[in-house]
Amino acid sequence: MPKVLSRRDFLARAAAGLVGCALASMGCGTQTQGGTGGGRTTLNLWYWNRSIDDNILAQVNKRFPKANLVPQKIGGDYRSKLLITFAGKSYVPDIAGINVDIATYFPDADQFVDLQSVGANEVKSDYLEWKWLQGITPEGKMIGFPMDIGPIALFYREDILRKAGVPTDPDQLYERIKTWEEYFELGEFLKSKLPQRVSLADEITQIFQHVMAQGADWYQDKSGHFIGDQAHVKRAWDLAVTAHRKGLLANSARYSTDWNASADTGRFITFHGAVWMKLILKDAAPDTTGLWRVCPAPGGAGNSGGSFLSITRYCDDPQLAFDIISWVQNPENQLKAYVEIDLYPSTPSIYNRPEMNHPEEFFGGQNTNPIFSESARQVKPFYLGTEYNIINPIYAKELTNIATQGKDPERAWEDALHEIQKRLQLRGAWK
Amino acid sequence: MSTVGVATKEKEAGRKSWRTWSTYVPMYIAIAPFYILFAVFGLFPIFFSLYLSFHSWDGIGEMRFVGLENFRYLVTDPNFWQSIVNTFVIWIISTIPMLVLALVLAFLLNWPIRGKGFYRAAYFIPNVTSIVAIAIIFGSIFGNNAGLLNAALQAVGLPTVQWLNNAWGIKIAIASMVIWRWTGYNAIIYLAGLQAIPSALYEAARVDGASGPQIFYHITLPMLRPVILFTVITSTIGGMQLFTEPQVLVGNGGGPGQSGLTMVLYLYQQAFTQNMFGYGAAIGWGLFVIIVLFSAFNWRVVQRAGTVGLR
Repeated sequence: MPKVLSRRDFLARAAAGLVGCALASMGCGTQTQGGTGGGRTTLNLWYWNRSIDDNILAQVNKRFPKANLVPQKIGGDYRSKLLITFAGKSYVPDIAGINVDIATYFPDADQFVDLQSVGANEVKSDYLEWKWLQGITPEGKMIGFPMDIGPIALFYREDILRKAGVPTDPDQLYERIKTWEEYFELGEFLKSKLPQRVSLADEITQIFQHVMAQGADWYQDKSGHFIGDQAHVKRAWDLAVTAHRKGLLANSARYSTDWNASADTGRFITFHGAVWMKLILKDAAPDTTGLWRVCPAPGGAGNSGGSFLSITRYCDDPQLAFDIISWVQNPENQLKAYVEIDLYPSTPSIYNRPEMNHPEEFFGGQNTNPIFSESARQVKPFYLGTEYNIINPIYAKELTNIATQGKDPERAWEDALHEIQKRLQLRGAWK
Repeated sequence: MSTVGVATKEKEAGRKSWRTWSTYVPMYIAIAPFYILFAVFGLFPIFFSLYLSFHSWDGIGEMRFVGLENFRYLVTDPNFWQSIVNTFVIWIISTIPMLVLALVLAFLLNWPIRGKGFYRAAYFIPNVTSIVAIAIIFGSIFGNNAGLLNAALQAVGLPTVQWLNNAWGIKIAIASMVIWRWTGYNAIIYLAGLQAIPSALYEAARVDGASGPQIFYHITLPMLRPVILFTVITSTIGGMQLFTEPQVLVGNGGGPGQSGLTMVLYLYQQAFTQNMFGYGAAIGWGLFVIIVLFSAFNWRVVQRAGTVGLR
């Protein structure tokens, strides 16, 4: 008897499960199919946490009576999830956020709407030119609309520099360390002056990355040819190696708990970083409130990070989608996003507004904005290349080998170039 | 048997098998949900990954058939071989101390002490703790410049170690995370095994005048052998799949010198951060071969140990 009962019970559960599955899939189907329910066009927007100000998104459906914008905050590995929807050709969002590596989407530009075809050029003058160009493929198709940016500067510990007798006013300090070479000289001077064990900067890969970020060329030219063995990359490499050889680095990996602790305890006293490092530094080193300052970056202006909005070819109403994203990212809304969640605007017209310029307690009352905005204006147009995500980690890996495993720099350079070539050949992207 | 006509026998068998089949139909329907889900989420991905491993694919565009190119690259890829060595090294330096420690703990927990339930729960708690949280805590313990461990070394006047910048330091940090998380779990399993040993055996041994160590080596250990084999196998499976610990501790690249790059982390890195899905699939099949070989090896060792034990 118990046997029969349990079987029946099992069957019932199995049936319920099947119905449940079917219902769930139907539910999904109706929910994300989009279309024009109630006279409104449903537009699914994919973005990641803190990439767009949620308050602004909440106003979209009031401002655009024809739209039913459904913002979906995607957690975890955003890029993989986006690629998977493209691969499956279903549930592809109508509007999608794209990170700084937008050039890696260029080979698949046919998956996106050319924003110039829906009137992007009308608002072009509102945005920084280099940022605007970053979203345009070498063939001239615009797939990314500017969101925030990451102008770089030098963060430094005012108190420690003062102890060493170095001028600590941002302008005066910058006068002394305009170039990387002068910056390293300062590092050696500090080493001789300061009794305790302090390093000039955090880690070797960051030196390399920031020298690269100050230039226009990266690892590939616009036709896809590998140029990572040329002088501009070798120079960045050599500067990074020099910093290591002179003993100026703390070997603290950025974004690690060790970096946080090192920043808090003054293990390193300066570092190059984008504007969004302000927030990371504040969280990492609360005990150093008031001790840090910011000055223009030795070696010049540059950009690190920032993101874009794109419209996919699966979008039913690209014009409406464009009207929405160009409103969400207009100067006034970028200003709000800066105030609310620290996204640095790509619209220079608001850089002088009082909301962006005020004394900052963490930086000892300094208004750091003029330094970042000046850096933002001076960035040269650059091209990261379609294989950036493959190539960049290989240089980083070999540089870390030099700094931590004692690898010979010449051999590391050869190994890096060799591995990049093999990797790109495997991908069919070696030119 | 041979006197019955072949044709009639086949016919009869056919009818019989249909009858049997029809009575089983509801049962097949009943178990169908599992098989349908397994086919969709298990079987299909397995075969699709095999198909994928012969292609070059970035996830968006068209797949390009490349034949055995991915596999040719795989066998000459130093990163792949390094990830295998890393995985086995971490597996060895985590599993052996972990199982020894678990056995000792189980032995102690089997003692008649007060608050037994509390200790059992306490030793099991690490196993249900968020692995990401564990990795962050271990990151600050093994920190290069401001780590807890270095602070302790400094306090007793020893030189500090850049734990997360050198090959052994990273492996030790990962292994200690595994040990911390799984020792209690294995101890609980050993404890169950210890309690299943009939007390009559111990009593008989004591009557015969056996000493404590003699009892342990000649009764406890042999009687525990099946349980020990079980824990060795589960730790092998876990060790081969090591992923979250190194990923959170040293990042997708495997850290300085790629010292924390395990096999599964390398697969993840290639497929999901570098978007080389075809190559990622090829790595997956490479792992399959290695794990099959290792399991066969393991099985033979275990078989031999079993027969030796019976003697």
